[in-house]
Amino acid sequence: MYRRLWRGFTPRATTASGSPPRKTWIYLALMLTLTGFRVGCNSQDVRVVPLIVGMELAYPPFEMTDSNGSPTGVSVDLAHALGAYLNRPVRIENIPFDGLIPALKTGKIDLIISSMTATPQRRQSIDFSDPYLKTGLCLLVGVHSNIHSISDADRKGKSVAVKKGTTGHGYAAAHIRNATVLVLDKETACVLEVVQGKADAFIYDQMSVYKNWRRYPDHTVALLEPFQEESWAIGLRKGTERLRTQANRFLVHFRETGGFDRLADKYLHEQKEAFRRMGYPFYF
Amino acid sequence: MSNRERLLVRLFLLEYERNDTTPSLAVRSVNLVLAFLFMVSLFYFAFSRVAYHWAWGSVGRYWPMFVKGWCVTVLVSLAALATSAFLGVFLALVQRSRILALRYLSKLIVELIRGTPLLVQILIFFYIVAEAFQIRNRYLVGILILSIFSAAYICEIVRGGIESVGKSQIDSARAIGFTHRQIYRYVVFPQAIRQILPALAGQFVSLIKDSSLLSIISISEFTLNAQEVNAFTYSAFESYIPLAVGYLILTLPISLWSRRLERKFAYET
Amino acid sequence: MRLELRSLCKTYRGQVALDSLTLDTGEVKALAIIGPSGGGKSTLLRIIGGLERPDFGAVRLNGKEVEYDQPNLIQYRRGIGTVFQAFNLFSHLNALRNITLPLEKVHGYSPSEAEHWARELLRHFHLEEHALKKPAELSGGQRQRVAIVRAISIKPKVLLFDEPTSALDPEMSAEVLELISQLKNEGRDIVIVTHEMGFARAAADQVVFLANGAIVEHGVAEQVFSRPSHPITRTFLSRVTRFQAPV
Repeated sequence: MYRRLWRGFTPRATTASGSPPRKTWIYLALMLTLTGFRVGCNSQDVRVVPLIVGMELAYPPFEMTDSNGSPTGVSVDLAHALGAYLNRPVRIENIPFDGLIPALKTGKIDLIISSMTATPQRRQSIDFSDPYLKTGLCLLVGVHSNIHSISDADRKGKSVAVKKGTTGHGYAAAHIRNATVLVLDKETACVLEVVQGKADAFIYDQMSVYKNWRRYPDHTVALLEPFQEESWAIGLRKGTERLRTQANRFLVHFRETGGFDRLADKYLHEQKEAFRRMGYPFYF
Repeated sequence: MSNRERLLVRLFLLEYERNDTTPSLAVRSVNLVLAFLFMVSLFYFAFSRVAYHWAWGSVGRYWPMFVKGWCVTVLVSLAALATSAFLGVFLALVQRSRILALRYLSKLIVELIRGTPLLVQILIFFYIVAEAFQIRNRYLVGILILSIFSAAYICEIVRGGIESVGKSQIDSARAIGFTHRQIYRYVVFPQAIRQILPALAGQFVSLIKDSSLLSIISISEFTLNAQEVNAFTYSAFESYIPLAVGYLILTLPISLWSRRLERKFAYET
Repeated sequence: MRLELRSLCKTYRGQVALDSLTLDTGEVKALAIIGPSGGGKSTLLRIIGGLERPDFGAVRLNGKEVEYDQPNLIQYRRGIGTVFQAFNLFSHLNALRNITLPLEKVHGYSPSEAEHWARELLRHFHLEEHALKKPAELSGGQRQRVAIVRAISIKPKVLLFDEPTSALDPEMSAEVLELISQLKNEGRDIVIVTHEMGFARAAADQVVFLANGAIVEHGVAEQVFSRPSHPITRTFLSRVTRFQAPV
């Protein structure tokens, strides 16, 4: 009878010689998939296991790619320094910004070092290290937008662009009542909309606003006075206290040995100068 | 074979030897439930391996966003369907025009659109073409892009339908003394419609799914709203599973109706 | 009817289908066109029916020259009833509608007039029980007969038949041929292309033997069949009637 059930898997039309090899392959495939599920649950020595750091490589000069396509930037260097400190090899995973927390929660990555602000909402899902950088939300506005402050931007008929999943998005959802909020997934799209006049303002952090203004000086105006202060920290999965302590200790060590100053000189030289001239504190 | 074996065979297998008897409704439902359970257990197994703690409550608070987004998707899809149906038929007729240049123009447009991804078309159209023509309303632009995209596929469907009408039918019509227009109206179109409608329903389903790409130019449809909820709550599964269900609610009825149409018209030939 | 052909030529993709045909039937009621496949019979019939345009030459029906340009051509077609080998009827309409549609849209009948006339014809030919069936629900013979009814419903000058029974089995062939015979006896003008030699011999007044695009023989049906003058005709007829019982 079982032979009959088995033969039901294949149509009668097959020849007698045709059936056995097909059955063997099906068996093999089943076995392989079942054993495959067991791989991945190892308990190796933690030090040799690589540290997987997630970031969105679309945020120069913190997270970006060089001309060869390899990750580079402030956060990348920071991640490698952390790896060196912990004596673990580091692997960078390029993940869209709003996918970072889900990736962390499901264990695809161990840390988020992606210029992510530690907000109370995010703290409900993940843990954060001590902050390593202070910045603020400000506006990139179009030259013809006639906007001089965040309250100007929140007027009927105005449109405000935000990048999905950022604190700018969170601010807009919570505070923007009268203007239209345009949610886009890329920073470049947001900037393009402001440049083309499709959006009147873009809520983002000071450094990026400055940098984008420098790229489109004829079409945009940078209102760098922050209306909401934020600090960036390293994101960790809940329940990984040991790693968190290690990360905090690393940050202290890195600051004391002048690591942040080196990063600022390497990547943020122009911003450092400009902010100094404009009187904004430079923030590491 | 014992009686027990015979029973098991009749319950679970499709008999190929006996002449094509469709199994009873009871047997079909039992096996459908079995298939369904298998899928569910597969998903359950996949999710249980991921140490995920579900947060339906935090997502549930945002249900107005889901509803609003779903409605926008429905409206955008309907508008795009109507427009693309017109455009598609127009393109198909132009391809049969006697003016050769027009024929080639239509073919060129169709090949271009069918050969490039919708994402690329949205970006080019919105950020370059619409900008050049100063069309500001992004919903209008979005519906237009989707319509043009779908029209290219509908053109091929309509063309196929028209060409599927046998030459002998047209010969018959000519012998009767019908004018060109009469042939189209009384012979070609009624028969072509029977081929076209089921495929058109399928295209509508594709259109509904393709509308999700309009999220990248910040059209506040279903997908974008679900993504925003995810951004606020960091609960990807709880945001995206309702998203999938919402699309299924739209597409499943159309698929089933399309299959009914196919069967109805199959009996007629 | 009187059918005249003057140096009629037609070429398809380099192949000569009709090679300068010349013919004058004089006054004839039923004309049969016979010959081997590919000889040009269908082409000739289609040209007579106005469905194809000759490359050269002229056709004259009942003294009037056939003009192969619009709008004259459509007008001409409307006066001719044509029945093809198969797929005459529109598959999405039932038998009745197949007949009434041309009556309404081409010949200006009102819907009630058209239906009345169509039903009467169907009744006359014992087809009224099939009036509301679609072609797919009819047998081959019934389909052809409905097609014939449609052709005569428009009160045509001439009826053209292009191998009307070639796609049918013997029994259905018989019922169709019987109908055609009945039409001939009713006095209608018929041109029929056929392989049914027995029928051609019995029902036709004149017969034309067409081979390789040329008229090999033309004459009174009985004469051509019993005493063919051309050797090609003789060979053809002897081969074709080999398995037929002598008439």
